[in-house]
Amino acid sequence: MNRVTRRQFMAHTAAGATGLTGILLTRTAPAFAQKREVTMLGWSHFVPESDKKLAELLARFTKETGVAARSDHVPNVQLAAKQAAEVQTKAGHDLMLFYNEQGWRHRDNLVDVDDVVGELNKKYGTDIYPFCKDAFFIKGHWKVLESIWPAVAGTYLQSKFRQVGEGPPDTWADLLRAGKKLKKIGHPVGIQISHCIDAPTTFWSIAWCYGAKVTEADGKTIAINSSKMAEVIEYYKELYADAMEPDVLSWDDSGNNRCLNSGHCSWIHNPVSPYAAAMAKKLPIADDINHHSSPAGPAGRFVAPNARGYGIWKFSKNIDAAKDLLRFLFREDNLTEWIQAGAGFNHPMWRYWEKHPVWNSDPKLRLLPGEGVYGRMRGWPAPPSDIFGAIDDLYILPDMVAKAIGGMSTKDAMAWAADQIKRIVDSTRS
Amino acid sequence: MGRIGQVLQREGILGHLLVLPALLLLAGLVAYPFAIALWLSLTDSIVGRAGHFIWLTNFVSLFTSDEIFRQALRNSFVFTGTAVAVKTALGLCLALLLAQNLRMKRLIRGAVLLPWVIPTALSTLGWWWMFDSLYSVINWSLIHMGLIHERLQWLGTPHLAMSAVITVNIWRGLPFYAITILAGLMAINPELYEAAESDGAGAWGRFWHVTLPLLRPVLAVVILFSTILTFADFNIVYVLTRGGPINSTHLFATLAYQVGLQAGRIGEGSAIALVMFPALAAIVYFQLHYARKEV
Repeated sequence: MNRVTRRQFMAHTAAGATGLTGILLTRTAPAFAQKREVTMLGWSHFVPESDKKLAELLARFTKETGVAARSDHVPNVQLAAKQAAEVQTKAGHDLMLFYNEQGWRHRDNLVDVDDVVGELNKKYGTDIYPFCKDAFFIKGHWKVLESIWPAVAGTYLQSKFRQVGEGPPDTWADLLRAGKKLKKIGHPVGIQISHCIDAPTTFWSIAWCYGAKVTEADGKTIAINSSKMAEVIEYYKELYADAMEPDVLSWDDSGNNRCLNSGHCSWIHNPVSPYAAAMAKKLPIADDINHHSSPAGPAGRFVAPNARGYGIWKFSKNIDAAKDLLRFLFREDNLTEWIQAGAGFNHPMWRYWEKHPVWNSDPKLRLLPGEGVYGRMRGWPAPPSDIFGAIDDLYILPDMVAKAIGGMSTKDAMAWAADQIKRIVDSTRS
Repeated sequence: MGRIGQVLQREGILGHLLVLPALLLLAGLVAYPFAIALWLSLTDSIVGRAGHFIWLTNFVSLFTSDEIFRQALRNSFVFTGTAVAVKTALGLCLALLLAQNLRMKRLIRGAVLLPWVIPTALSTLGWWWMFDSLYSVINWSLIHMGLIHERLQWLGTPHLAMSAVITVNIWRGLPFYAITILAGLMAINPELYEAAESDGAGAWGRFWHVTLPLLRPVLAVVILFSTILTFADFNIVYVLTRGGPINSTHLFATLAYQVGLQAGRIGEGSAIALVMFPALAAIVYFQLHYARKEV
């Protein structure tokens, strides 16, 4: 073995350090490492086949265009932190997945994709679900190209409902009535009241159905302290005490899926992923699972689906290639395959896609695309803003409910939430 | 020998050169991010957007109007105080046990280190399953032993959730205490024990008058490091509870992450992350000062 003298070591270290400093200062990788590549960061899909299909489509894009393409994935809850890291350092992927208000939060750092949407509208029409447009058409420009909104439906075990003489609940009151019977036979219903994304999703849905709102339509006047919101909290308290088990206070986004697929829970409020997982794993419970429209309330039927889509960072060095990649992924043949791979989870923003064969491939999926008409963006009737993103990300709404369940009076719980929201409103510049 | 060689022969210059890479790393990876965080904490920045300089408004607001922050403050003291106290007591006991002439001594000492060696996020996932509301092996065992009749909601009840995150922190941190204290025990001159024994000291007397006084500098350093690391803990709470239920397990790091990165309010998040810096710096100063005096 050759001995390295101290002098040689110092010389090599100095050369290496000089090279690294040069790369960092110029922010340019050495020429031999440079290769044109479009990169995207998305979530780890709840239906893994969808991510596999995406990888396949990217490989096809590379073959067609000669431009390499790669998609990285992180768990849903980590996306916001990754976006923050990339935007603060102005470095990272070319395309980023955003959901709900995240596009709004990063609007100043996103390229307009009006041209791409305009081209796709020529093919798919302009009949777009309003909540998708609310989420991603920001201040007169498309900032994010919506790729997935999963219908949040009632997902239930048919045998358990039959056992207690109930059908699929059409209203939240029906769910409460059935849930009381179901808990007695050891099969409670389950809605997260915890620090996860599903918890505010269901909360917004129930609140709207009861006519409650968090702010007035101006998005700043706090309206959470109301008799209708009190009704919502009382509903949650009764549902928790008589139809659910305390597990719901600790569930993450997959907690309800696991509970349903284990056969313990009889009903959850969720996209189609538990059924898709049961089918993919050939679990016997798949036969028992079915879906129904998200329940209605005295004020109507409303639901808060998570709209997800890709945007292009302004600091990307591959903006044109990134747009080409979006055009490729949303081309009819490719999008058809991508939707199919989602097994009922992936729905683009155009109603045109309600005709996709996946919805008719299984009677249990047939109602899902129709759920889009009940969709609203969080904050509704106010337009999306940083305020509602923060309310969701700080879990103020499920915490308000959890406090009331934990013994705080409904009035005090609403006052607590109003204080927290006021802090957010006061410290948020539009 | 060339001119560079001659210069490198001078110890003063070579010494500085050898320290330089470490200094550059510290400046780049510690001082620079710290300065940026300090600046952000004095602004109302949202991620990706320039904020306005607002002096100490973030800090004042945290203490005067943020109930969640005040809860995280209380949680941090309960979490750190309990975990450090239990780790110190158990670590001392474990170190005394490991110092005995046990069979397979090396194997046991190696095994004790395992919780500290496994990546925290990975081991905490194991604990997450053990505390799972539906599949908890702890609940299963307690029910089958007849100690409880209903499943305990380890991560869904505020006090149990706090107990759970403290338990995992103790499990993970104990080896660090045990091995470091063991090293301190090994360094104590056996003649001191012999002298104490000849003066009539029993086991307790030898521990109280010889072991403990001579371990004090080691204990001071171990407690110092552990206090800082426990205060700054993130992984355990993030994996197990994400600060829930109802913020009852939020610590500074998890709340700063939630506010600064997840909700994008990076100015406020930075203030939460830095709020304990003066207090921790004071603890470091006094404990190191104390340890130096003891040595």
